[in-house]
Amino acid sequence: MKKDKKNNFQTPEGYFESFNDRLMDRIHEEEVKEAESRIPRTDGFVVPDGYLDGLTPTILSKSFEKEPKVISFKPNRKFYYGAAAVAALLVLFFGINWNPNTEPISFDDLANAEIEAYFEQTDLDMSSYEIAEVVSVTDIQLNDVLTDDLEDDILMDYLDENVDDIEELNLEATP
Amino acid sequence: MIAEETLVQELQQEASRAKAFEVLVNTYKERLYWHIRRIVLNHDDTDDVLQNTFIKVYRNIDQFKGDSKLYSWMYRIATNESLTFLKQRSKKMGISDQELKDRMVENLQADVYFEGDEIQLKLQKALSTLPDKQKLVFTMKYFQEMKYTDISEALETSVGALKTSYHLAVKKIETYLKEN
Repeated sequence: MKKDKKNNFQTPEGYFESFNDRLMDRIHEEEVKEAESRIPRTDGFVVPDGYLDGLTPTILSKSFEKEPKVISFKPNRKFYYGAAAVAALLVLFFGINWNPNTEPISFDDLANAEIEAYFEQTDLDMSSYEIAEVVSVTDIQLNDVLTDDLEDDILMDYLDENVDDIEELNLEATP
Repeated sequence: MIAEETLVQELQQEASRAKAFEVLVNTYKERLYWHIRRIVLNHDDTDDVLQNTFIKVYRNIDQFKGDSKLYSWMYRIATNESLTFLKQRSKKMGISDQELKDRMVENLQADVYFEGDEIQLKLQKALSTLPDKQKLVFTMKYFQEMKYTDISEALETSVGALKTSYHLAVKKIETYLKEN
């Protein structure tokens, strides 16, 4: 205990050293109490009638339910999946090179109808001279190169109007 | 009332676990209900979180080491479940945490299980502006009247920090109520 030299009054050990801290604590407590006095003492929440009473059985039944079984992914399954993946790759690889002796596809393999359809649908952008260079006209008929078939009557009318002497055409009579 | 040590022992033995758990639920359901309710505000949500909390307690009781009191451990689980619930909801709705809190408070006006008056609604608005932990300290001290030592165990925070946090919380709430 500290003893004052001038009188015999004493103070507890460490009283003055801790005075500031104790004083601040007291001030804070007073501030808190004053603030609390302005805050509502209840918050207004209510609970449905009978809710808490009926709660225990619900919690117990849900807690005692067994957890769903977890399917473990065993290491040997990984091995089987890996082996299956490798096997699939091998099949794919060998499957591509399965028949190395396959002959190249030629025009003979295409049906004539397919070739005709190609020429009908495709604009070759070729002049008549260019076509004549590649197409044999020995056995070709006029109707083979015209989009619309010409009837004989129409052909004769044309010749009659445009040819002065039909004898010049050197036409052979067809049986 | 059964001593906590005895209750823990019975909870961790298979033969007595079910009966001991029933005692645990009956003892703490109301306290935990209000703790959760003051975080999530809505009764139905509180019901979900409370049940999940007890289920977690039951399934993890073997992992309780006795480093803290049993109810402190349960409070921690309840707090985490509540905050996770809010986080998941805000993420699901694609809004910020603060926006969710604002909406939750707005919804109180139409909530049949909220019978607060104007000042009590303002209090909820004030509380929604506080950081989560500060709000927790306030509600546990002010409404649940828990001791600082018990709050310290539940929130794993020193008593000194809690006192400071509480002081700040009440000043902020007082200011909010004055200004609004």
